[in-house]
Amino acid sequence: MTQEQQLKLQAFLDGELAESEAREILAWTQRDGAAAALLSELKNTRQAMVQAEPHLGVPETREFFWSKIEREIRRQEPAAAAAPGASRPAMLRDWLLPAVAAGALVLVAAGLLVHFNVPKPAPETAADADTPTVETTLANSDATTYRDASEGTTLVWFSPAADDNPAPNKKPTAIN
Amino acid sequence: MSTKNFSAARLVGVAFLFLWLAGLNAQAADKTLKLEAQLVLGSNDATTNGKPVSPQIEKKLKRLPLKWQHYSVVNEQQFTLAKDESKEVNLSDECQITVTSLGNERVKLTLQGNGQSVGNITQELKKGHVLVAGGSAGNTIVVLRQMD
Repeated sequence: MTQEQQLKLQAFLDGELAESEAREILAWTQRDGAAAALLSELKNTRQAMVQAEPHLGVPETREFFWSKIEREIRRQEPAAAAAPGASRPAMLRDWLLPAVAAGALVLVAAGLLVHFNVPKPAPETAADADTPTVETTLANSDATTYRDASEGTTLVWFSPAADDNPAPNKKPTAIN
Repeated sequence: MSTKNFSAARLVGVAFLFLWLAGLNAQAADKTLKLEAQLVLGSNDATTNGKPVSPQIEKKLKRLPLKWQHYSVVNEQQFTLAKDESKEVNLSDECQITVTSLGNERVKLTLQGNGQSVGNITQELKKGHVLVAGGSAGNTIVVLRQMD
């Protein structure tokens, strides 16, 4: 059997022959045992291939599947650009912008430090912001402080140091 | 750190967030205070003439160790103070105060009696809080508060 005859058999099996030619091949296979055997073998092979062919399905839509591929391509692009010989804009984007941003952060942090430290609060106010700082300006005078933290009230009573009978009806006691 | 994962835009965003927060803080520190100073007369006579103090102030005053049970307003003045600004307030012929805004809602109150300085009080004066100052002269006290 020639190679051309074998190809004719394959074409017959694939339905690629004209009707008259197909009839001739069919008659030939009925007369020739070798041709019939080859045709049978080709049929079996095709059937085996069809059955064994994996049917792979994509769970996502075609557009979504492509978008994933596209994202992966884009993700890998910067790595390629960072390779030796990368372009100047890429280097600018990768190094200069982060450097400028880091510098801005440092400046902001420094500004915040200066803002919170100048002027430095007095030690007593740092310990308790509600504690008043009282200063008497008269000689031989005294000041008594009473705090009602629950009401947010502070009373400061100035009196002569020798005055044993200040206006408060009882000795003020600081409460916190 | 890999520059691939280094987001410059995110870092710049954080920097601007810090700047904005710092601006807010500075704004709070420098805000103008609306204050009210009252010269209040203390008495144990319920029929005392005069405008009574507000219920909120009265409640606060009655919790203080003062010898009076009733309080009425002799004079009151409202004023605003920018940061580092001072204001002299004449509450009566005998009683004057000078109030200075120190920023961050801190004020310095200088109490004067008959033109003579008696003393200074420096304190944080938040909204709802009251600073009461008095002396052995008369039955009056000074009430300073931040207005709502």
